[in-house]
Amino acid sequence: MVGLISLTLITLLVGTVLTFLAGERSRWVALGTSAVFLLEVGALFHGFTWLSTPGAVAAPTFSYAETVPWIHLDWLSIDYAVGVDGISLVLILLTAFLQIATVLYSWGETKRPAAYFGLVLLTGLGSVGVFVSLDVLLFFLFWEAVLIPMFFLIGFWGGPRRRYAALKFFVYTHVASIVMLVGLLALVFYSHAPSLDYTAISSSASSLPIVTQVFVFLALFFGFGVKFPIVPFHTWLPDAHVEAPTGGSVLLAGLLLKLGGYGLIRWGTELLPDALGHVQWILYGVAFLSIVWGSWVSLAQRDLKRLVAYSSINHMGIVLLAIAVGSQLGVLAAVLLMFAHGVVSGLLFMVSGSFHHAFGTREIAGVGGITPRAPVLATMTMVGALASLGLPALISFPAEFLALLATWDAIGYWVFIPLITLVVTAAFYLWMMQRMLFGPPKGIPDRAHDLDSAEAAGMALLVGLTILYGILPGLLVSVIQQSPVIRLG
Amino acid sequence: MLNVVAEFLPEVLLLVGALLVFLLDVLGVKRSELLGAIALGAILLALLAVLADLGTAGLGVFRTLPASAVDLPAAGGPLYDFTSLGLIFQAIFLLPAGLVALASLSRPSGEKGAAIFFGLLQTATLGMLLVALASDLIFLLLAVEVTGISTYLLVGYSRKDPRQIEAAMKFYIVGALSTALSFFGASLLFGAYGTTSLTALAAPPSYPDLALFGYGFLIAGLGFKLTLVPFHAWAVDVYDGAPTDVSAFLAGGSKKIGFFALLLVFVGPLILLRLAPSCTGAGPCVVGVLPAHFSDAIQLTLGVVAVLTMTFGNLLALLQKEMKRMLAYSSISQAGYMLIGIALGTAPGITGATMQVLAHALMKTGAFLAVAAAASLGVGPLIDDWRGVGTKHPLFGAAFALMLLGLAGIPLTVGFVSKFVLFSAAVQAEGLFVWLAVAGLLNSAVSVFYYARVLKAMFLDTDPSAPPPPLGLPEPGPSFAERVGYGRCAAIALIAVAVVGLGVYPGPVLSGIQTAAQHFLTVGV
Repeated sequence: MVGLISLTLITLLVGTVLTFLAGERSRWVALGTSAVFLLEVGALFHGFTWLSTPGAVAAPTFSYAETVPWIHLDWLSIDYAVGVDGISLVLILLTAFLQIATVLYSWGETKRPAAYFGLVLLTGLGSVGVFVSLDVLLFFLFWEAVLIPMFFLIGFWGGPRRRYAALKFFVYTHVASIVMLVGLLALVFYSHAPSLDYTAISSSASSLPIVTQVFVFLALFFGFGVKFPIVPFHTWLPDAHVEAPTGGSVLLAGLLLKLGGYGLIRWGTELLPDALGHVQWILYGVAFLSIVWGSWVSLAQRDLKRLVAYSSINHMGIVLLAIAVGSQLGVLAAVLLMFAHGVVSGLLFMVSGSFHHAFGTREIAGVGGITPRAPVLATMTMVGALASLGLPALISFPAEFLALLATWDAIGYWVFIPLITLVVTAAFYLWMMQRMLFGPPKGIPDRAHDLDSAEAAGMALLVGLTILYGILPGLLVSVIQQSPVIRLG
Repeated sequence: MLNVVAEFLPEVLLLVGALLVFLLDVLGVKRSELLGAIALGAILLALLAVLADLGTAGLGVFRTLPASAVDLPAAGGPLYDFTSLGLIFQAIFLLPAGLVALASLSRPSGEKGAAIFFGLLQTATLGMLLVALASDLIFLLLAVEVTGISTYLLVGYSRKDPRQIEAAMKFYIVGALSTALSFFGASLLFGAYGTTSLTALAAPPSYPDLALFGYGFLIAGLGFKLTLVPFHAWAVDVYDGAPTDVSAFLAGGSKKIGFFALLLVFVGPLILLRLAPSCTGAGPCVVGVLPAHFSDAIQLTLGVVAVLTMTFGNLLALLQKEMKRMLAYSSISQAGYMLIGIALGTAPGITGATMQVLAHALMKTGAFLAVAAAASLGVGPLIDDWRGVGTKHPLFGAAFALMLLGLAGIPLTVGFVSKFVLFSAAVQAEGLFVWLAVAGLLNSAVSVFYYARVLKAMFLDTDPSAPPPPLGLPEPGPSFAERVGYGRCAAIALIAVAVVGLGVYPGPVLSGIQTAAQHFLTVGV
C-alpha cells in the first residue's frame, strides 16, 4: 500500500518526467501536476493526525509515517522513511503554492519550455522530499537533488553572468552539504544509533558527550547555514538571484532558503537541544550580523532584484534569530516567518522580473511613475513591498511580531537590533515605491506594457495568500503547533 | 584434470578465447567483428560462470565450482584459494573488460591489429582473474605480471601514433620497475616470515622490522599499479597517450588489481592488528611478540598515502585542460578513496572499498568510452571542445553527465552509494580514522568543481566555432548511433543504466559484498 506522502512524491516524479517529454504542451502538464500536487497536500491536511493534549507526547511522532527497508548491512541500516508533522506540512503547503505560482508566472517561457518546466517541478520534488524525509541518507539525497535543477535553471535560463553564478551556487552549497553530512554521520555512529532513522537518532543523540554534541551541532549549523544564507557565507545568493530567471529566483528564495531553516530545526535544534544551549551566542551573533548586514547592504542597491535578494538575507537572519532562541514560540515564529518570506519574496522577485520584462530595466533610478501605465504591476509591487516591510494585516507582520516577541523573552533589549533594521527596511521599501511607482513618469519605453494575464495570475495567487494569512495567521499557527518540538519545548 | 578445468572455468574460457583469436588471425581471418564477438562471448561466459559460482539465484545450473570449495578456512591449495570476495572481484574485473570489448565491436572492419587488441584484452583479463584467486605472494605477483605484460602491449598495439609508442614504453619501464620493487618486497617478507604464503602473514613475523621494509616495498610496487601518489606519475601520460578504449580498460579495469593485491597482502597483518590490542577472541595472543610501532606504521602509512593520493589527484585534476588528462587525475584520486578501505581493515571498510572499486570500474570505463565516442563525433581533446555537445546530443550528454556525477559522488548514482558506505565505515571505525572520512569528503567536494566544469561546457556553453544551424530542414545524415557505432552506444547506455540502478537500489549487491568481506576477514586468505 502506497502512503499519501509516497503518492505525492510519485506524482511529482511522474509529472516531471512527463513534462520533460511533453514539448510545447509541457506547461499544461506542469500546471496539471502542480494542481494535483496541491490537491494531495490538501488531502494531507485533511487526514492529518492532530496531537491530542499539549505536552503529552514523549517522542517525536509523525503523521503518514512510512518505512520501507532500503539498504541493510550489519552496521548500517538505511530505510526509505517519510512522515510529516506540523512544521513540514506547512512548508510543503508553501512548496505547492510556490510551484503553481511559478508555473503560471513562467507561462510565456519560450526557451526550451519542456526542460524549464521539468526543472521547476524537479525543484519542487526535491524540496518536498527534504521536508518529508526521516532518514539521514534519504534526506541528504533530496537535499542534493535540489541543487541540480537549480544549477541548470540558473545556468541555462539566467542573465549574462549566469555560468559563473550557477557554478558558485553549486560549489558553495555542495561544500556545505558535505560538512552537514559529516555532522549527521558522526551523530549516528558516535551515538551508536541502531539505524539512520530520525526517531532512532533522536533517542540516542542525548547519550553523546556534550563536547561531541557541540561539534556536531556546529557542523550542522554551518551546513544548513550556507543555505540560509548566513553572513559571511552569503555571497553566492546575490549572484545566483540576480542571474537566475524569475522562476528560478522565486524557487530559490521561496524554497531553497527554507530548506536551510527547516534542516536546522529538524536535524539541528530538535535533535541536539543541549548543544544549542552551549553555542546559542554564536547563533545570536551570526543572526545579528546577517540581519544588520542584509539590511545595510540592501540600502546600497540600485537594482530592484538585488535589493530583494539582500533583504532576503535580512529576513532569514530573523528566522535564524528565532530558531536560536530555542523556545517553542521561537520555532513557531521561525516557521511562520519562513512561510511568509517564501510567499512575499516570491512575489517581489516576480515583480522585479516583470519590471525587467515591461520596462526593460530593474534599476530603481531607471524608471518612475509607472502607476498610470501599469496599474496592476504597481498594485502587486505595493502589496509585496508593504508585506515585506511588515505592515499589519499582511502575512509578514504576525510572523515578525512573534519572532521579535520570542527574542524579547530570551534576550531582552537586544531585540532592538533587529527592530531598528526593520525600520531601515521599511524606509527603503517606501522610498523604492515612491520612486518607481509614483511621481512623474520617467524612463518608460513606448513598448512598455502592464502584466500579461499569466504573470498576473501567478502574482495574484501569492497576493491572495499574503492577505489571507495576514488576516488569519491562526490557520497556519494551529498547524505548526502540531509538532513535537513545539509541544515539548 | 577435469576437476581443475571446472574450477578454473572462467580462466580457461578466457585463455581459449584468446588463443582462438590469435589462431584466426594467423589463418588470415581479419574481420574485427568476428574477433570481437569471440572476445565478448568468452568474457560474458566467464562472467556468467563467476556469478554462478557466487551462488547468484537462478544461475545454479551453471555452477562449476562446488560451494564447499569457497571460503575454506585455512586455505584450500598452497597457491590459490577461492574466496567469495575474490569471486566478487573477478566479476568486477570482467565488467570493464566486457564493456570495452562490446564498445570495440564498432571499430572499422578489417582494421589492422584487431586480433592483437582482442586477444590481449582477454589475456590481461585472465591475469586479473588469477590475482583474485591468489593465496601466495609469488603467485600473486606473477598474476599481476600476466596482466602487466598484456597491457604494455595493448597501449602500443596499433603502432601508428608515436604518442602511443611513447606511452607504451613509459608504461613498460615503470611497470618493470614496479615489478622489481614488488619482488624485492616479497623477498624481504620471505625473509621475515620464512614463507611466501599469504595466510602466514596473519601470524607475527620473526623479524618485524624486516617485514615492515617488505611491506613498504610492496606498497610502492603495487602502488604503481593502483596509481597511488607518489607512484602515480606514469598514469596520466599513459592514459592520455593510449588509444581511448585501452585507457578505458586500464583506468576502469586493470588498475584495480593493484587494489586487490594490496588487500591480499595487508589483510593478514590487519587481522593481526585488530586482534592484538585486546588480545581476546579466537586468534592467537600475539601482543608480546610485536613491537608497538608495527601496527601504527602500517595503518599510518596506508592512511597517509590514501590522503596524499586523493588530494594530489584532485588538485591536479582541477588544473587540467584536456579531458583525458582530467579523467586520469580523477582516476588517481579515486584510488585514494579505495585505499581508505584497506587502511581501516574492517569488514565495513572492505565493503565500502569494494563497492567503490565496482563503482569506479563502471563509471571510469564509461567515461573513457564516452570520450572515444565523442572523438568519433569530431570533438577535440580539450574540455573546451565539449562545448555544446550536451545540447546537440541530449541523450549522450545525459549519459556522460551521469558518469561524471557518479564520479563526483552526487546522490542517486552508484558513486554516491560507494562513497557513503566507505566514509560511513571510516566514521564508524572511530578513533583516528575519522580524519580519513573528513579528508575524503573534502576531496569529493573539491572534485565536484572539475566535473561541474565539464557539465557546464556540455550543457551551458555554446560552441563559438560551430557553424550556424542551416535554414530549413536539416539534411538527413548518419544518425548518432551510426556515427558512434552500435556497440559503443550499447556499452555507454548499459553503464549509464547501471550507474543509476545501483545508485537507487544497491541493497542486494551491498549485502553480498558485506557477507563476502566478513568471510574474507574471518577466513583470512
